[in-house]
Amino acid sequence: MTSPTNATSHDGRVMIRLEELTKKFPGQKQNAVDSLTLDIPEGDIVVLVGPSGCGKTTTMKMMNRIIEPSSGRIILDGEDVTSSDPDQLRRRIGYVIQQIGLFPHQSIGENVGTVPKLLGWDSKRISTRVDELLEMVNMEPSQFRNRYPKQLSGGQKQRVGVARALGADPDVMLMDEPFGAIDPITRDRLQNEFLRLQSEVRKTIVFVTHDIDEAIKMGDRIAILQDGSHIAQYDTPEQILTAPANDFVADFIGKGASLKRLNLSRVADIGLKQLPTVQLGTDREGVMAALRQTELSAVLVLDGEGRPLRWVGAEDLQRGGGRPLDELGLAPEAAVEARATLSDALNELITARYSITIVVDSRGVYQGVVDIDQINDAIRTMRSTAVAKARESLTDDSMAEQGRLP
Amino acid sequence: MTSAAEARKHDKDQVVSTPARTSRRTLTGYLALPVILAAVCLAMYLWISSLELDSIEARSLNASSLAIATWEHVQLTAVSTVITLLIAVPAGIILTRPFTGRVRPYLLTLLNLGQAVPTIAILVLLAVAWLFLGFQAAIVGLVLYAIVPVLLNTMVGLEQVDDSILEAARGMGYSKMGALRKIELPLSVPIILAGVRTALIINVGTATLAAYINAGGLGEIIVAGLSTNRVTVQIVGAALTAVLALLIDYIAGLAEDMLRPEGL
Ligand SMILES: Nc1ncnc2c1ncn2[C@@H]1O[C@H](COP(=O)(O)OP(=O)(O)OP(=O)(O)O)[C@@H](O)[C@H]1O
Ligand SMILES: [Mg+2]
Repeated sequence: MTSPTNATSHDGRVMIRLEELTKKFPGQKQNAVDSLTLDIPEGDIVVLVGPSGCGKTTTMKMMNRIIEPSSGRIILDGEDVTSSDPDQLRRRIGYVIQQIGLFPHQSIGENVGTVPKLLGWDSKRISTRVDELLEMVNMEPSQFRNRYPKQLSGGQKQRVGVARALGADPDVMLMDEPFGAIDPITRDRLQNEFLRLQSEVRKTIVFVTHDIDEAIKMGDRIAILQDGSHIAQYDTPEQILTAPANDFVADFIGKGASLKRLNLSRVADIGLKQLPTVQLGTDREGVMAALRQTELSAVLVLDGEGRPLRWVGAEDLQRGGGRPLDELGLAPEAAVEARATLSDALNELITARYSITIVVDSRGVYQGVVDIDQINDAIRTMRSTAVAKARESLTDDSMAEQGRLP
Repeated sequence: MTSAAEARKHDKDQVVSTPARTSRRTLTGYLALPVILAAVCLAMYLWISSLELDSIEARSLNASSLAIATWEHVQLTAVSTVITLLIAVPAGIILTRPFTGRVRPYLLTLLNLGQAVPTIAILVLLAVAWLFLGFQAAIVGLVLYAIVPVLLNTMVGLEQVDDSILEAARGMGYSKMGALRKIELPLSVPIILAGVRTALIINVGTATLAAYINAGGLGEIIVAGLSTNRVTVQIVGAALTAVLALLIDYIAGLAEDMLRPEGL
């Protein structure tokens, strides 16, 4: 099979190397995973994506030997772990599954402290670590530490699942459809939170999904797999969207590849537009002055912390008499964080008042806005760079070995 | 699904296990039964005291022989239940491990058949075939009969643990033994305890039959009443057995409530 490997150079080391990894389940004619060779670079999120039954889960579970390979080798951080002690191996690798699998008879704190406890940490160190992890996944330790899994919502459980996998600060995390069983809005939020977390912890992550959109959003690199875990293409999301290696990949990406590209850029990557805003408590004159400067028919009122509070227009001021600004005008729609993709921003923009999307930081403090022109520009830039890269890769692809980093 | 997993699923269909209690009771719920039982005992005492007992009745219906019979009955029940647990729980664990997958279906069929044989038959068989009588023989009979419910409940309890929980445990680095001790067994406690409770109730009732092979217990009072044709004696024997059974069931219920892991 010819398959263009990544054209962008990666200076990172290889964290996981799979060498001709094969799994044949007893009683099956075909190999579930057939001689897969794959390098996973350190600090990247590598997404395994492909149709149901193509062997994604089997591939992933061989990496921590939940499923023992029939043949081939697994090399973790330069060390052959194909036949080392699996229990020790698994304590070095974080593991998140779709069903989450929290232990119902243990408190959230105990769940999160599972691996540290297995590694024999003392209880003080464990409890410090547990609190740190809960904070990392945006769960107030004092509130959640002593609860039991059944007292959490699905999204909260999933966060705990991620915190538990990060327990002893493993270098590698394996995640099998971690956000699969969650409603779309919560999933989106968890994905964004996870990307923020990853930007801090920089783990090597193998992420399994059957959803190409999720793959594009989460992946630094994507391996599109066919039956038997044959690699159809292993590349960056940009390249996969711009230059699908074959019909299988093109079909798998489906229509709307250019819209999908909006998932590749984050709001943080494009310059935010600044509009005049006013602080709560600004007098009438001040607001009028701001209104004269802005291109919209209203200005955004921020509270003492700088968080968006109301849209207030000239008419509102008139009708409101002397009432305070937070009782006038209209409440702003949901804002997006800088981590959100342009696709998220566009979604908000379509329904938002004044056709702009407000951008805030993780504490909800106003950062700026995005409008349709900015998104247009971003699409245009993306297309031209992607096309240029595709041209480049056409020339040096013939030499690159399948599934290997150059 | 592997064939072993299929076999396990299949087993579940033929196993009839005792369901676990689902909720804890209120305080009144906790107090009601002891009060009622105490009232019954008091009423019985007052009734007997008001009667003119003949010498045969007096031989059975006096404090010391009733106390001895009750104590023997408690011993029969307790010893047989403890031995049952010591055999059935480990056996249940072994029979849910993958390496016993092959023999499991046959063994379960055998056990189900075995349970259909009445205890009295076992006792008579022991007595007649080997002249095996007394306390120990009674214990053997009781244990043989009570093993099945505890064994089945242990197996069902372990098998109902969600595969994903077990996978998470192994994936996190629990050893097989560690996962069994820290995850599987605690999660099966409610169902195993329900089986233990069934065993206790079976044993406390069946222990009355031990009188036929000279092993004592409250059955002796009933048998004495029957053979001498004294209805009062029969009634007291039966009533005490019932009170004891209800009390033991009550205590087992308390234990179930207390031992159930928090969070379930
Ligand atoms: N324990 C098993 N025993 C036998 N066959 C199995 C087992 N697990 C998976 N398979 C088979 O191996 C193949 C790959 O399965 P796998 O679970 O890896 O697929 P997947 O890509 O994760 O699919 P999905 O997106 O549906 O989760 C399938 O044909 C499946 O039927
Ligand atoms: Mg899968």
